[in-house]
Order: sequence, then structure tokens, then C-alpha cells
Amino acid sequence: MKKLSLLTACLMFSAGVLAAAADQISVDKPYVRLLPPGVQTTGAFMVIRNAGDKDVKLVKADNPASRVTELHTHLNEGGIMKMRPVAAIEIKAKGEALLQPGGLHIMLIDLKVPLKEGDVVPITLGFDDGSSKKLDAKVLRAAPEAAMSHHHH
Amino acid sequence: MSERILLVIAGLLAAAVLGLALFWQPELPERPLPAAAALSGGDFTLQAANGPFSLHDLRGKVVLLYFGYTYCPDICPTSLAATAEGLKQLTPAELAKVAMVFISVDPERDTPARLKEYAEFFHSAMLGVTGTPENLAEIARRYGVFYARQPVATAGGDYVVDHSADTYVVDAAGKLVGKIAHATPPDQVVLAIRKYLNQP
Repeated sequence: MKKLSLLTACLMFSAGVLAAAADQISVDKPYVRLLPPGVQTTGAFMVIRNAGDKDVKLVKADNPASRVTELHTHLNEGGIMKMRPVAAIEIKAKGEALLQPGGLHIMLIDLKVPLKEGDVVPITLGFDDGSSKKLDAKVLRAAPEAAMSHHHH
Repeated sequence: MSERILLVIAGLLAAAVLGLALFWQPELPERPLPAAAALSGGDFTLQAANGPFSLHDLRGKVVLLYFGYTYCPDICPTSLAATAEGLKQLTPAELAKVAMVFISVDPERDTPARLKEYAEFFHSAMLGVTGTPENLAEIARRYGVFYARQPVATAGGDYVVDHSADTYVVDAAGKLVGKIAHATPPDQVVLAIRKYLNQP
């Protein structure tokens, strides 16, 4: 029993040292969409890449600009678009998750102050192994060119 | 018992097949309206910030109609931003023959003044209008638009409105001729607009 727990501890330790999920993750083209005056909820979009050998799940996101941050997706049910929260966004091993308008995204709900074009919103991504990654997302009127054209190339 | 499970599975499969047949639509940039469910479309009058607006005011232009609401967290901004990007790619001569109208199905919260500000944020050629719930319901029926208020306890609002998110295309004669699917990329929005612009 003692041996087993020692082994477990060793495994956990090495796993923690070798491969915290966040260390395998890189984020490309993050941005927050500028919304019209008077609107208090907006989306953050980005490409999340996983260089590791294991699938990683994004389980939460945080930011200081809005009161609530949620992971969301769009569902198309018979032509009716519904936006609903999701519990996690999976980033496959050696793969990527595309967070873009019309699909998976991070919602910044109930903004504390209106965001202006060019503002920078620090966003913290939280992964299923408890590790986290910080990034800065600029407030933009439209998607950066590369992110927009990404999926059909 | 196993027979019952089999029946349930068979039922589920049948429902899935039926659901697929009814609802599966390939991701085309523009879907023709099925002839069997021809929608009448037609003229209507709603309220803009500067007074009543009628669809026939735009006779001679290709008109893009989008039904949504300004508290829409992500679906409307996604559709409107893509359409606005499409409009920006048109030549000035083309743009002069195109109009975009954002119709709010949430008149309780969306005043014409708020709608003007909202629509113009996306494109200066975009008009924001709304009307009475009865008027909106009648127009939505004619255009095949679905919307339903859903109580959702989210921060910053007591309800959301689920809605169909296609952009309806009305030709220069005021006739409903097609729709552009939600989340169609801007370059394909341009192609769809040009297709109707260049119709004889």
C-alpha cells in the first residue's frame, strides 16, 4: 500500500514536472470582438494549439473586464441558432481548437466598463489538470485576417 | 425486456434519420428556398429612428434582411459583421444598389434609437428597425423566420431570444429570392450579393 502510494506520488510528480497541460499549449491570434455601444457582452476568439502527446481540455476562462466568463458554442438546431455554455473545449494532442465567431468561443458577460478598440484584455485559460495560461487579447473590430481565413485553407 | 430496448433503439434511429432528412443542410453559402415551402415575403412597415420605414422604400435595390436583437450575445454580431465585411468588399457602384436592414424581434428592449446606433456600428448602410410584437410576428411568418423568447438567468439579462439566423435576400422588385446562411464568410457573402445584383 505504501509502495503504491509512493509510486502514485512519483508518477504524479513526474507528470506534473514533465507535462503540465499549459506548457504544451500555445495561443495564436487572440482577440476580443468590439461590440456596438450599449452592448455588455462580447466574445473572445483564438486558435489554441496543443503540442503535447495528450489531449487537453480547456475547462474555464477568466478575465478582469467582465463579471462572468463562460465557454460557449453555437448550436444550429434545424436552422435556429442557439448559443449555449459548454463544460469544456477539447484540444487534441498535436491538434488545435479553433475559437471563432459562429462556433466555440469564450464569452465575456456583463462587462464592467465598455471596451474600446485597441484595449487589451488579459485572459486566463484554465485546463483540466489544474494548470493555467495567461494571454493578452486585443479588442478588435473584426477578426485578424489570418484567423478569419484559417479554416478554409 | 430486450424487445422493448430494441423498439426504443429502432424508434430513436427512425427519429434520427427523419431529423437528418428534415434538418440536414450542407454548408452552402446560399440556399435556395424550397419550392414546396415558398414563402410570400412581401412589403411591410416598421419603425426606424427617423420614422416609419417600409420595404418598398428600397425598391430598386437588393435588400438583405436580418432578424435578431441587440442583446444577442454572439449570433447576431457574427452574422452582421460578416455581412458588413461583405458590403465593404463591394464597389461603390455596387453598394449603391444594395441595402441592409436589421429587424429587431425584441421591441421590448430595442428602441429605434438604440437600433440605429447598433446597426450603424456594423455598416453605415445598415438600417435598424422594429415594430409591435404583432406586426413582427406577422412579418416573420411571411419570411419564414423563427424566434422564441427563452428565460435564461444569465448575468446582464433575464431572457435570450433564440432565432433563425439566415440573412434573407429581397430583389430589386421587392420579391424574396433567397437566403444567406448564418456564418457565411464575407468573401462568400459578396458572391451571394453579386449573384442577385447581376440578375437580369
